[in-house]
Amino acid sequence: MAHNFKSDVTVDWCPGCGDFGILTSITQALSELNLDPHNVVAVSGIGCSGKTPHYLNIGGIHTLHGRSIPFATGVKLSNPNLKVIVPGGDGDMLGIGAGHFVAEGRRNSGLTIIIFDNEVYGLTKGQAAPTMQLGEKTKGLSRANIFGKVNPIALALAAGYSFVARGFSFDMKQLKEIIKTAILHEGSSVIDVLQPCPTYNNINTMEFYRKKVYKLEDDKTWDPVVTGESMDRAVEQFQKAYNKGLEWEERIPTGIFYDNRAIPSFTKRLNEFVPQYFTNPPSDQIVSGTDGFTPVDVLKTFADKTI
Amino acid sequence: MDLNLTLGGPQGGGIDTSSNMITRAFAAAGYNVFGVREYHSNIKGRHSYNHLRVKEERPRSLKYPVDILIALDPDTIFEHIEDVGEGTKIVYDKQFETSDLASARMIMRDTAKRIRETLQEEKLPLNIKGALQLMQKKGGIPIAVPFNEVVSSAISDGVPTRYFNTLGSAITLAIAGLPVEFGEESIKQVFSAKEKVVAENVKVVKAAYDYCSSNKLAGKPIPKLAKKRRFLITGNDGSAIGKLMGGLRFQTYYPITPASDESSILEEHGAIAFIENENRKLKDSGIVIVQTEDEISAVTMAQGAAITGARASTATSGPGFSLMAEGISFAGMDEVPILITLYQRGGPSTGLPTRNGQSDLLFALNTGHGEFPRIVISSGDVEECIYDAMKGLNYAQRYQMPVLHLIDKNLANTSDLVPEIDSKRVKVSQVLATQDSESFRRYNLDTDNGISNAGYLGKNIFWMTGDEHDELGHVTEDPEIRDRMMRKRFQKLKTVEEEVPMNDRAVLYGPSDAEITFVTWGSQKGVILDVMEDLKAKGITANLLYIKMFEPFPSEFVSGVLKKAKLVIDVESNMLAQAARVIRTNTGINIEKSILKYNGRHITEDELLNSALNIYNNRKEEKLEEVLENGA
Repeated sequence: MAHNFKSDVTVDWCPGCGDFGILTSITQALSELNLDPHNVVAVSGIGCSGKTPHYLNIGGIHTLHGRSIPFATGVKLSNPNLKVIVPGGDGDMLGIGAGHFVAEGRRNSGLTIIIFDNEVYGLTKGQAAPTMQLGEKTKGLSRANIFGKVNPIALALAAGYSFVARGFSFDMKQLKEIIKTAILHEGSSVIDVLQPCPTYNNINTMEFYRKKVYKLEDDKTWDPVVTGESMDRAVEQFQKAYNKGLEWEERIPTGIFYDNRAIPSFTKRLNEFVPQYFTNPPSDQIVSGTDGFTPVDVLKTFADKTI
Repeated sequence: MDLNLTLGGPQGGGIDTSSNMITRAFAAAGYNVFGVREYHSNIKGRHSYNHLRVKEERPRSLKYPVDILIALDPDTIFEHIEDVGEGTKIVYDKQFETSDLASARMIMRDTAKRIRETLQEEKLPLNIKGALQLMQKKGGIPIAVPFNEVVSSAISDGVPTRYFNTLGSAITLAIAGLPVEFGEESIKQVFSAKEKVVAENVKVVKAAYDYCSSNKLAGKPIPKLAKKRRFLITGNDGSAIGKLMGGLRFQTYYPITPASDESSILEEHGAIAFIENENRKLKDSGIVIVQTEDEISAVTMAQGAAITGARASTATSGPGFSLMAEGISFAGMDEVPILITLYQRGGPSTGLPTRNGQSDLLFALNTGHGEFPRIVISSGDVEECIYDAMKGLNYAQRYQMPVLHLIDKNLANTSDLVPEIDSKRVKVSQVLATQDSESFRRYNLDTDNGISNAGYLGKNIFWMTGDEHDELGHVTEDPEIRDRMMRKRFQKLKTVEEEVPMNDRAVLYGPSDAEITFVTWGSQKGVILDVMEDLKAKGITANLLYIKMFEPFPSEFVSGVLKKAKLVIDVESNMLAQAARVIRTNTGINIEKSILKYNGRHITEDELLNSALNIYNNRKEEKLEEVLENGA
């Protein structure tokens, strides 16, 4: 029987929350990819999005606020054969965890980062998140937001992510496909998912987004894939993706902005130095000798320290 | 033989190479060498020095005044005025004689001011000649060597100044009476692959010896001792070696002094060689080392790896350790097996970034919010670093909790000749994943010892959360489960106490009945053991209560020793006598006499002996505190 990727834990998100659409898209993507549940892991941070691993019937770590990326990177680099999904809030990823978000772009470990982007900190009663526009006053705020917003698409591109996309939580068909492509992508991917917070964000509602979103793939000439055959092509697509990422006021593009398959993943880079990294990764190594003592030949390994 | 020497010069000026050369030369002749490296937080120019001691048997501490001071720059002479005594030979470049204190800009302003005042008090000129005169008053013997002349006459090409460090070392060896062939041998070891460099440096060594014999500086030849193979390692090396032997497969770090050397050493030796009969099974395994974006990432990434089954660790120092606090709390709550090596340096804040300190003990015992079990261990010499790192990795997996391994900067930068590394001293008790099952209970409560089913993501399906959780790892706020989970986690500390032998937690060195009982932890162990012998020579018996595990604390053992003790002296490299506070908390016993040092420099045998005698002679006083001040 096919594995049910949805766990039996009661989901306690608010009715109408955009998180449901993301959760369903993830479980559908996992089912359609027919992954062994032992080989896929979810690592989250804190907040409403942080609960996601508990709702998935795969191994999961609900970590600290902002720290899902380094935890997830540790999982991935220790066992490069695992698929690692990282659901996180906008505050988690772009506020408290922004340093890790940028660092992971440089690493390209192979994480599937899904940003639950609703512009507010829901679980703490609706404070402004880093993706909220300057001057916006949602109902959870006592005064208008006095911070500017960070653009997740532009930041992900600038940080070096090799796969950058945007989804909309009420278009599960598109989101599921993006997630599938991202999971299969060798490097790290960022999917910024627009979603309403019906409790605290009365501006960026489902209707707000429905009116504005359009799909990049509807333009038949749009091709986000870069294979590394030409440097010019990579630069050109990066610029196109960046420009598309700036669109917001009139219309908001969704879909895959950038899919660069030529940037080597961090695991491949490590494989240059770590013997049998993919076939005998750190997570699987037997480190004790047959007699229970260390199998390390100290004299040989540390020959340079002997006199 | 008991030879103490200090070799000083500008940072980046080859002081380490010289020191390495001296060490290897004496080692080649069968002697033992022990040393500490002192340096500024600076890349080039500021004063750095190595304090070394050479003996037939293994030295455990350092001593002032030194027998030889080798100055590769004028600053060294100014900085070490206080470190000379009767018979100290001060070797320096004759050219320095024209230098004055005002132009020694790389000396810290406050240090320069103090040196100026010292010279002024003695009505001496504020220059090298004045400093040398002061040293002569203390019994020092200046030996001016025309560095440039000696080197230029020897080398066939190159810049003479590049060989000054070799010259300084070779003159030291000649003065000490070590035959020239050992100096040459050490050059070959230090510059191994570079034939031409070896040839040029050997010429400089010969020239130095010739200069010394024609100027009647050469010492009486010392005998060659039986030579055995040894490891020349530091505390940083020791911890790295122990981790590799102990099965470490994932190390994270963010660059920080004095911790990051450990990770570099691991990286350099990441291609592990296995003993022959294990080869087939384990061939070509590798270790992953990741330089992270910060220490928050370092401590959490290591946990991610540990959760998949790899033995994982990180190494850091004070400021980085502060950043790790929340992550350590997660490891406690979620029972993640990680080893954190905490290299202590002088705090608070950036403090004395390259200097010694033991001021993080109380913090290590309390890092992270909430109540959770942890193991805190400490090492006192280079060999302990090896075996404690191995044990630390074992503890982490066996007891499923964060293990903090404390090493002080002094020990991290101690170089020592270790006769043997024993692969059979500590077992590597790897904990493999429990067979997976439907509804695998990673945090099962039905356990007497508090240790639940080991499980690793990739092999078992389970959940983890920083929230309180149920047996499967899902969030719970149920009051009863909360109580049971708290008790289960803390039960593990009782199990540690039952399973870990007392020798690994606290040791009493010396006679069980003694007039003085020293109490210490960390790198003071060696210097106290030496002082105990000095005291014995004066007819005073002493023993040492040496603490290795601070959590869980060996209360009964410590209390048993202290209740019998006549005069207890606590010795630590901090201001608050932190270990004494831990002892008071755990046993109710107050230690009223202490010898403390917090200027960031290593404790030397002479100053510790003086203070111990002061306290002994005034032992009727209720409270006594001596603060040590040696060191440039």
